[in-house]
Amino acid sequence: MTAMTKGSGNGPVGKTGPAAAPPAEPTAKAAPSSLSSPSAPDPKRRGRAVRTHLPSSPWLFLAPGLLVVGGFSLYPFVSTVLNSFTDKRTLIDGQWVGGANYQELIHDEMFWIGLRNSALYVLGVVPLLVILPLLLALLVQRHLPGITFFRSAFYTPVVASVVVVGLIWVWLLDDRGLVNSVLGAVGLGTVPFLSDQWLLLLSAMMVTVWKGLGYYMIIYLAALTNVPRELHEACAVDGAGAVRRFFTVTVPAVRSTMVLVGALSSVSAFKVFSEVYLMAGDGGGPGGADTTLVMLVQRVGTGLSGRVGYASAISVVVFVITLGLMLLVLRANRKEDS
Amino acid sequence: MRISRRAARRAAAATAMAAASALALTACGSGDGSGGSDSASGKIEGTVKFQTWNLKTNFKSYFEGLIADFEKEHPGTEVEWIDQPAENYADKISADAAGGTLPDVVNVSPDLAVPLAKAGLALDLDKAAGKYKGEYLDGAWKSHQIPGMEGTYAFPWYLNTGPMFYNKKLFKEAGLDADKPPKTYDELFDAAKDIAKKSDGRIATLGNAPAIEDFGRYGVPLMNEQGTKFTFNDPKGVELIKKYKELYDAGALDSQALTNEAEATGRKFKQQSIAMNPGSALDLDKFKKEAPSLYKNIGITPAVTNTGKDNMYVQGVMVNSQSKVKPAAVAFAHFVTNAENQMDFAHEVTVFPSTEGSLDDPFFTKEDGKDETRVRVAAAKSLKTAVNYTPVMLNDQMKTVLRNEVAKAMQGKKAPQRALDDAVAECDRLLKSAG
Repeated sequence: MTAMTKGSGNGPVGKTGPAAAPPAEPTAKAAPSSLSSPSAPDPKRRGRAVRTHLPSSPWLFLAPGLLVVGGFSLYPFVSTVLNSFTDKRTLIDGQWVGGANYQELIHDEMFWIGLRNSALYVLGVVPLLVILPLLLALLVQRHLPGITFFRSAFYTPVVASVVVVGLIWVWLLDDRGLVNSVLGAVGLGTVPFLSDQWLLLLSAMMVTVWKGLGYYMIIYLAALTNVPRELHEACAVDGAGAVRRFFTVTVPAVRSTMVLVGALSSVSAFKVFSEVYLMAGDGGGPGGADTTLVMLVQRVGTGLSGRVGYASAISVVVFVITLGLMLLVLRANRKEDS
Repeated sequence: MRISRRAARRAAAATAMAAASALALTACGSGDGSGGSDSASGKIEGTVKFQTWNLKTNFKSYFEGLIADFEKEHPGTEVEWIDQPAENYADKISADAAGGTLPDVVNVSPDLAVPLAKAGLALDLDKAAGKYKGEYLDGAWKSHQIPGMEGTYAFPWYLNTGPMFYNKKLFKEAGLDADKPPKTYDELFDAAKDIAKKSDGRIATLGNAPAIEDFGRYGVPLMNEQGTKFTFNDPKGVELIKKYKELYDAGALDSQALTNEAEATGRKFKQQSIAMNPGSALDLDKFKKEAPSLYKNIGITPAVTNTGKDNMYVQGVMVNSQSKVKPAAVAFAHFVTNAENQMDFAHEVTVFPSTEGSLDDPFFTKEDGKDETRVRVAAAKSLKTAVNYTPVMLNDQMKTVLRNEVAKAMQGKKAPQRALDDAVAECDRLLKSAG
């Protein structure tokens, strides 16, 4: 324990502001002895604490974090919201136009197509990403010889570059690709994975699920280690089969993790870009029918003639919807809790 | 551990600096064009930052030699060369322009020059370097002029035009004369239907739906002279779409023609499932290495056109109007694009100089029996009359609009006339909002 951490947990710092409150807790837990006699400090140490910790000290400690958050999250966010009310372009400063961008959104066919596709993506991908990784985690949780190989194998798509993965799937699913050659050989004909707007979206969803499985599997693995073995044993003694145990022991035990996975995957599904962009092309599929909202932001807002104002308005809508999704999931969770 | 007050103060100063620079990065305004005068007279000295577009990988030694020559000719100058990858070049330029870090001399294409000129970031060369105008082909000089604006905003640099490659074996298999490839769009459509029919739809002739260059070569008027309205919904444009839709329905276009990127089309041509593909002389080498069985059957013909004119692509070299070393920047931009250096560059790679008289050099007129030379001579000949069909005002977003509307027409979701009307209306709207 160093003088620095102690100092931020008690003593003069505590009086300077609310910022000092959170660190007090872990310090107190970790070293109750330091709190036991606060009225009789070692005079030498006390003196040093006074000298080092001015009223501005907590802010100094917070400064790096605040600056990163402020400069790279808060400022861009506020400026996006402000830009959404202007007609700013990439190289030309904008004029205040009020809600004109939002009005334009309502009449923009591409916006509605984007919204539909992003929403479909959430509906298609999230249930699979909540359930499949859990089953996978149960499978690789057992201690069998060589199981680490399978764990790593399932995790590989997560670390692979999405661009490389996307291109490989494009080659596989091409009308003249491997998958279609096999389908053709068994007499099923050519399936237009990459030229039919719905199949394209489905193919992209499949890649997202395939690529996300390993990541959520790891989260579930961590949660599963917390499920007491005795519960399973007790259940088994009572005569419950594997399925019954899954629903009565495993699911309730990892339910909060399922909510977390649901929240994480729905937010990232709504913001999908790479998979669809790679598989459907920068035009967003035939006639743009597979464009997602984030692709639309990219198309409208980038480049030298980018309409930054309009793209910002779409971004704000994406933000509001993702926030709504999060709240919805959390609320569902709370309702079940109560 | 002990933190001294001095260290704390230093940390505070450092973080404040970081914050200030982070804010400066994001908050920095874009150029308003009022900063620089168009005067380029003065002493040629200082450090010139020069940015190229995806040229370092293959032509490092050429540019290093070029830069050394310039520095030798103008003591007191130094050229700092930056190369950007092909992908997202426009985004890189816009980030630099917004951050005030645009290099002094920038490789651009006409459609990139438009927004930069409108934002006042491109130097008007009619004023600053008008004396050099006569050194360049007239059409090339004009390619960086912008409808509705006075001035010329980049030196013309290298030109390119693609021949059409075709697969002789696939032509023969369809009973076509492999030595008489189609020259006009009607001939192309007939050949494509034959190939589709004979191969039971297995072999497509083209890999992409028509783009703006096809409209141009088909003879569709693309834009009014003032550059204020697009006109490709002309009956001729509708006819083009109808013909392409027939091809698509007959299997004469690749089944993924509506979404194929150039990479995919190239791959399918190499796999010999597409019979014709536009390309450049650079591709010959690729075929030789990557698809030797295709290379044995490769046919080369000028691009299909109804107007008798080929499409040409122009690269330019722009001078940043905010440059602090304007005289040196103009001098270097001119140096890069002068006849001698363009000629040297053309010997490195099959591109074509935009300088007056260069295309009459024996290098571009005399055949020697090699395929490469044949392609070069044919391209140089067609360049003399070629046109840059892509209107400079048509930006990427508008290209996507056109592509998507054409796709809807080809799928039969919209009538061709309606689709093109919608595309024109949307492009006009975007054009107007661009100001």
